[in-house]
Amino acid sequence: MIAEATSDLVVEVRDVHTRFGSAVVHDGVSLSVRRGEIFALAGASGCGKSTLLREMILLHRPQSGSIRVFGRDLSGLSDEQALPLRRNWGVMFERGALFSSLTVTGNVGLPLREHARLSDRLVDEIAAVKIGLAGLPPSAGPKYPAELSGGMRKRAALARAIALDPKLVFLDEPTAGLDPLSAEGFDELVRHLKELLGLTILMVTHDLDLLWRVADRVAFMVAGRIAGVGTMQELSGSEHPLVREYFYGPRGRGAWEQSWKRR
Amino acid sequence: MTATLSAIPETAAEVVIAGAVVRCAGAWTVDRIGPLERRLPRLDWPDGERVAIDASGVAAMDTAGAWLLQRVLRGLEREGRSATLSGLRPDHEALLRMVGAPGLAAGPAEAPPGLGPLARLGRRAWASGEQAVGILSFLGEVGIAALRSVAHPSRIRWRTVLRNVQAAGFDALPIAGLLSFLMGIVIAYQGAAQLARYGANIFVADLVGLAMLRELSPLLTAIIVAGRSGSAYAAEIGTMKVTEEIDALRTTGIAPMDLLVLPKIAALVVALPLLSVYADALGVLGGTIMAKSELGVGYADFFDRLHHAVHLSDYLAGIGKAPVFAGIIAVVGCYQGFQVTGDAESVGRSTTVSVVQSIFLVIVADALFSVAFSWLGI
Repeated sequence: MIAEATSDLVVEVRDVHTRFGSAVVHDGVSLSVRRGEIFALAGASGCGKSTLLREMILLHRPQSGSIRVFGRDLSGLSDEQALPLRRNWGVMFERGALFSSLTVTGNVGLPLREHARLSDRLVDEIAAVKIGLAGLPPSAGPKYPAELSGGMRKRAALARAIALDPKLVFLDEPTAGLDPLSAEGFDELVRHLKELLGLTILMVTHDLDLLWRVADRVAFMVAGRIAGVGTMQELSGSEHPLVREYFYGPRGRGAWEQSWKRR
Repeated sequence: MTATLSAIPETAAEVVIAGAVVRCAGAWTVDRIGPLERRLPRLDWPDGERVAIDASGVAAMDTAGAWLLQRVLRGLEREGRSATLSGLRPDHEALLRMVGAPGLAAGPAEAPPGLGPLARLGRRAWASGEQAVGILSFLGEVGIAALRSVAHPSRIRWRTVLRNVQAAGFDALPIAGLLSFLMGIVIAYQGAAQLARYGANIFVADLVGLAMLRELSPLLTAIIVAGRSGSAYAAEIGTMKVTEEIDALRTTGIAPMDLLVLPKIAALVVALPLLSVYADALGVLGGTIMAKSELGVGYADFFDRLHHAVHLSDYLAGIGKAPVFAGIIAVVGCYQGFQVTGDAESVGRSTTVSVVQSIFLVIVADALFSVAFSWLGI
C-alpha cells in the first residue's frame, strides 16, 4: 500500500536522455507530476512522448537521467522490487491490449486473480463493478474483446487499468480512434473516476479537446525536450513558435473555442 | 518530499460480532479482504430485525472492500432485516454509495449450463464434418482461382512465387539434407546386421535405394516442410486476419487467394519435389558411407548394385508423390490460416491443427499411393 504521503510528487523525471541508435528521442527531459492531478503529455507525433511513458512504466530504459515513481528510482529495479510499483499503477494502452482469449470480465479480473487472494465469485463481482465504473453495460462482461467496438474496448481497457484501485493511472492516447461523441464521454469518465477514486492520472495525448477539458497541467514536448509546462491557459500564452502553432492552428482554435462555449 | 510507497502496517479487514454489537474494522482493501471473505458465510449474525453495524474501526477502504461491505448489507436485506451503518468515514461512505449505485452490475451473468457427453460428441462430429466440407470448398476456390491465373498468366505474381520457393525450398536444404542423410545411415545400419547374417551384404544398396527413393525421402521432406512452411502459412495468414490485413487486401481489390494462397501452393509444388531429389541423394550417400564402414561394400560396388536394383520408375514414383504432398500441405496451411477468428489463441490453435492435419493427410495420401502403385504394378 502507499502511505498517505506528506507530499505530492508522484512522478519525477530528471534530465532523461534516450537514443535509439543515432536517433535522439529525449534530450534532457524533466517534469514532475503531483498527487491527485491530471497531467497530460502533449506534442506532435514522434516527439517522444509515448517513449517517455514507456520509460515511466518500466518498459524501456533511458540512457541517462533518473525517473522516480512514488519516490522510488526506476533504474536498476529488479522484477521483485518493481512489483509493488506495478501493483500500484494501472496502464491503459493505446490499442487497449486486452487479452483476446479472455472475456472482458476475465480481463478485468486478471490482476485481481493474480495479486489478491479472493474467491472467483468475488473477483467476478468486483470486475463487474469496475466494468460498470468504466461506463460499460453489464452485458459487455461476458463478451470477448473482438466482439467490442473501439470505444467499448477503450473502456474495458480502462476498467482493467483500475482493477486494483491503483493510485496512479497511465493513459496512452485515451481518445485516439474514438468518434467525437465517445471521446467526449471518455473525457467525462476520466474526470469522474479521478474524483471518485482519488487517482493521479498521467496521460499522453494529442487530442486538444481532451487537453482543454480534462488536463490540470500539460507538458508540451517538442523534439525530445519539454517546450513548456503549465495549465492550458498558461501554455496558450507561450512564445514558443511550435507551441503557438499547435494552439493557434485551425484545429487548436476550434478546440479552444469549444472549451469556452462549454464553460 | 515525495509520495512514497512504504508499506504501512494495516490489519486485515474484520467483522467482529459480540452479542448484539457488530463492528467492522481493519483495512477493507483488495489485498486485505481475502480472509474475511472466506469467513463471511460462517459469521453468526445477531438475531433480530435490526442490525446495527459500527464501522468506525475501518482504517482504509477501496472499491473492492466497499463492494464486499455492500454485499454484506445486501445479504442482510435479502434476509428481510434492516441494517444501519454508522461511523464510516465520509470518503468511505462515498465509495460505498458508488459501488452500490443502481446500474452498476449486480453480479456476473450466469454461466451457460455445461453440455452433456452426447451433445459434446455430436458437436465434435458436426465440427469435423464442417471442417471436411470447408477444406473441400476451399480447394474448389483454389482451383477456380488457379484456372483464372492460367487464363491470365500476367496476373501471376512470379516474384512472390520465387520468394516462397526460396523460403520453403532453398532455406530448408540444410535440415532436409541432414535428416535424410541420417535416415540413410540408420537404414543401412539396421539392415547391415540382418544382411551380414546371410552374407547378402551387397543388397544393402537395394535396401537403402528403394526405401529412400520410393518412400522415405518424399515422406520425410513432406513432414519437415509441413512443420516448417505449412505452419508458417497458417500463422502468417491467421495473423493477417486478426490485424484485418486480409480485409484491407480485399477492399484494395486484391484477391487474397491470388496474393497469398496461389503463390504459396505453386511455390511448394515446385520446391518439394526438388527438395525430395536432394534428400534422395543425401540419403543414399548416408547409406553408402554406412555400407562401406559396416559391411565393407565399396563405393563402386554399391553404385553398381544400386543401378541394377532401383529402376527409373521407382525414382519417379517417389518424386511423383511430392507435388501431391506439397498441395496438401499448402492448402491445409492456408485453409487453417483463414479459419482464425479474432484472438491470439486461435492463431496458435490453427497453426497446430495445420501441422497435425497436413501430416495426417500426407501419410494417408502416401498409403493410397502405395495401394494404387501395387495395382498398377509399378
